[in-house]
Amino acid sequence: MHSAHAIVQAVILGVLTGGVYALMASGQTLIFGVMRVVNLAQGALVLLAAYVAYSLTGGLGVDPFLAIGITTPLMFGFGVAIQLLFVRPLGAGDRAELSLLVTFAVALGIEGLLTVLYNTTYRSIEAPYADASWSVLGFQVPAVRAYAFALSVVLLAALIALLRGTRVGRAIRATVQNPTSARLLGVDVDRIGAVGFGLGAATAAAAGSVFGLVYPFNPSSHYELIARLLTIVVLGGLGSIGGAIVAAAGMGVISSVVAVTVSPVWADFAFFVVLLAVLLLRPRGLFGPALRGAA
Amino acid sequence: MFHGRRNRLRIEKSRLIAILAALTLTAGVAGCGLGAGGDGAAPGSAGAKGTTKPLTIGISLSQTGAFSDPGKAAKRGYELWAAVVNRRGGVLGRQVRLKIVDDASQPNQVTTNYQNLITRDDVDLVFGPFSSLLTIPASQVAARHHYAFLEPAGGGPKVFEQHLNNLFFVQPAPVVKQGEIFADYILSLPPSRRPKSAAYPSLDDPFAAPVADHVRRLFEHAGIKTVYRGTYPAQLTDLTPVASAIAQSKPDVVVGGTQPEDGYQLTRAMIQLRYAPKWLFLSNGANAPADYPQRVGRGHVNGIFSAGDWFAGSAARGSDEFVRAYKARYGGGPHEIDMTSAEAYACGQLVEQVAARTGAVDNATIVRALRSDSWPTLVGNLSWDADGAPRGSYLLAQWIDGRLTPVYPPAKALHRPVDPKLAWSR
Amino acid sequence: MSARGGALRRARSGGLWAGFFAALLALPVVLNAHWLLNIAVFTLMFAVLATAWNLVGGYAGYPSLGHGALFGIGAYAEALLFAGRDVGAGYGPFLAAAPIGVAVALAALPVAWIAMRTRAEVFAIVTITLLFITQALAFNLRGLTGGAQGIALPVPPFAERTFEWPYYYALLALLAVALGAAFAVDRTKLGSALLAIRADEDKARGVGVHVTFVKLLAFGLSAAFTAAAGAIWAYYVSFVYPQFAIDPFIAIAMVLMTYLGGRATLWGPVLGAFLLAPAQQLLAYQFGSSRLYLVAYAAVFLVVILALPRGIVPTLAAARQPGPAYHVSVDRVRARRERIGS
Repeated sequence: MHSAHAIVQAVILGVLTGGVYALMASGQTLIFGVMRVVNLAQGALVLLAAYVAYSLTGGLGVDPFLAIGITTPLMFGFGVAIQLLFVRPLGAGDRAELSLLVTFAVALGIEGLLTVLYNTTYRSIEAPYADASWSVLGFQVPAVRAYAFALSVVLLAALIALLRGTRVGRAIRATVQNPTSARLLGVDVDRIGAVGFGLGAATAAAAGSVFGLVYPFNPSSHYELIARLLTIVVLGGLGSIGGAIVAAAGMGVISSVVAVTVSPVWADFAFFVVLLAVLLLRPRGLFGPALRGAA
Repeated sequence: MFHGRRNRLRIEKSRLIAILAALTLTAGVAGCGLGAGGDGAAPGSAGAKGTTKPLTIGISLSQTGAFSDPGKAAKRGYELWAAVVNRRGGVLGRQVRLKIVDDASQPNQVTTNYQNLITRDDVDLVFGPFSSLLTIPASQVAARHHYAFLEPAGGGPKVFEQHLNNLFFVQPAPVVKQGEIFADYILSLPPSRRPKSAAYPSLDDPFAAPVADHVRRLFEHAGIKTVYRGTYPAQLTDLTPVASAIAQSKPDVVVGGTQPEDGYQLTRAMIQLRYAPKWLFLSNGANAPADYPQRVGRGHVNGIFSAGDWFAGSAARGSDEFVRAYKARYGGGPHEIDMTSAEAYACGQLVEQVAARTGAVDNATIVRALRSDSWPTLVGNLSWDADGAPRGSYLLAQWIDGRLTPVYPPAKALHRPVDPKLAWSR
Repeated sequence: MSARGGALRRARSGGLWAGFFAALLALPVVLNAHWLLNIAVFTLMFAVLATAWNLVGGYAGYPSLGHGALFGIGAYAEALLFAGRDVGAGYGPFLAAAPIGVAVALAALPVAWIAMRTRAEVFAIVTITLLFITQALAFNLRGLTGGAQGIALPVPPFAERTFEWPYYYALLALLAVALGAAFAVDRTKLGSALLAIRADEDKARGVGVHVTFVKLLAFGLSAAFTAAAGAIWAYYVSFVYPQFAIDPFIAIAMVLMTYLGGRATLWGPVLGAFLLAPAQQLLAYQFGSSRLYLVAYAAVFLVVILALPRGIVPTLAAARQPGPAYHVSVDRVRARRERIGS
């Protein structure tokens, strides 16, 4: 039988993993919130940032956590550009469907570009503390994961503070709740859409450095990333950052515990089943606003 | 409204006609390109002798998509052989031209690619793709058109269960046997020094999982207790929970049925969790001479076991020439050459030897010749059973002083096995 | 709407159908090259798939990303039925595609009933989740599916010279049936009801459309054709692995082709498949090694969506139409709704 020790160790690892996914998913859910766009390129944006961080650490010797200071503004601009060039021109009526295709095309383009620049070898960002680990009460805590988790929590807190404490943030939240009334209140919804997309990409940038430290990646890794991010944001409720955080932690813990107690091959499956069960009872997800036409 | 609908129909119709016309045109052009009678006849059989036209060899490799990484080392091996043989004057006086195309790691594309190579570009020979999962669809196309199918990558049980008479797996043995050499070594130790318990993590992959299963059967038969068995999926996976579960079961030996990427991941997870078994064997990943130390840390590799077929310092046929040419073309020392490159190169060596002995390079001759004898290559003396499964065995390798070194069986070893204690064990 | 106009329209429509299928029937004889026929086989397969997807994703407006699962279940059903069996002359597996399609459709209906309680974006994500669940099951239910080892199908004793012909004609027959079904949907009240659901599900219910029944009927038809195509595909490539048979890219290709040609139109998906499927296969073959192929593909993709957001067929129709450029399908929704209301 599986010892309590093994399960607690699995929970620790699961929470650490969940923190990193929470950061990636918060950007995704934010983009959905402001634009009603499911951004299928979020995984590719995370990877793009991971590659930039990889070049900065490998080529210039920058610490991967410091690299975030460079990648974040870059990716913010990139996110705004994607919104202006590809998402905004879509007609409002078809936006939900067409944006799936457009953002998927952007993801493919990023994948292609990364394939040309870095070819398809798996990479990982190497930090001096990559293999360090602490023993806490008999449980092993890998240093890289602990740092990654801590950083994700800090960045998430910063994101939430930005959304709650600043004028732009309040405008974003108003848009998420109801674009029409936000417009009536004088919010420039188009501009907020661009800013929201930029912020979503910026969180992808931060998450990219963290992700690249913990997992090896190649240009086609974004498919698996986006599959997980989608399930997280739908479980949490599209548009809800709090929901994304809870769902990401849930995914991390469920997958990790199932991997240890049952088998790793059922880990993702278990989470998908949880997602379907929740959607059966609550089609809008755990914390999501009611969507048009939802039964 | 009605008006519009009728218009729509008319437009569709004209579009359709245009498309059909385009399709027919393509067909016509292609028909001319193929030439009369080029279709259906056994390829490369007519007029092969005495001709000086280039010998074209078609290969589909995964250069984009999920399997593209190992394709790179294979491409190097193929291109290296072509360069070497061409410098010598080619095969029977014919310069070798490789036509390498991308299958994007997709089965439909690999089918299309071999169809195109064989029936459109009319290549003389084909070599197998370098993503093992694509081997079966590709081998079916080659078999249908009576092409010899030399393939260095797909050595799982299902490949041989096809019972194709044109297929040759260019490694010393089916992949299932990668772990057998490790089991042989362990069971050659006096019982008191053998491990008492074992863990078998493996990737859910047709070319990795059977390796761990095979060793498990041999070990269980010898009384070594199984304390952990687990399969993990091929997707981007966090292997820390797997390593954690293995650590909890405290086995003496860990036998991993791995492919390269999860091999690196599993090693790193063990290091991060500070878990070190007495023996660690990984079927792949740990046999990548340059990538493994780079990915898991140079200080961590010593003592770890893996298996392979070609190693720096090998006395196999053509090994010196291979190493020299590799260095001249790609740089780097012999200890950085991936054995995948050697396996791809060995496909070429086989063609070259058959041509030298029989004076022909048509597919029927290659199939007949390879079936009937044993052939020396970089990866050992190869001979095959009727299904194309090679009859030899792999070499056991161990990391000694930061280098991957063959250590068993003694007749082919360059060093004796050393203390398998891992650098991060406490 | 005179009777003469209707007769004329029917005649033109009939001529189009006859010409289309006559050309396709003659194609293998004309082409007479394996590599072209191989591409034609994949093209027909995608034409069936896109036509099937259009019923749910186009007419009803439920963008399924999980049709790859239905395709894969069809492929696995075929593999399990015939693995290790003697197929005689080799035609049995084609006949099996029809019952496989029906069975998969019936089995998928309860799941579809649950999934279709959600709308647009969430539906897309739920369906892709279902795809990953199906793939996980194919990997993990080793006793049934062989897991990652996959299942080999028997190789039929077809002559080398005409090896692709049976697959080609089987898929052509399937395309004819699928297009026939799509035609029936397009020209009857069922199509109007689906378009009404797509425009506004609550209002459709309000005007008396049996929303659930209509949606499930469309889904069932779509699932049957998708699974049948999967069955023939498995027989053609001779082997099924979980990651190839149940592949998100198959669903994405269906979506792309439908959008390119024009969703909620009869011929749009076929046109999309006829353009994209051969282009993709040939581009990867010709330019794959330059690795620029993905970037080029993405660029074409973006241009198509931004320049032709409605797809080729409706855009051309709107361009030829005098007066204000109407969104054709919305236009049709309105007209149909009026008819339903009356």
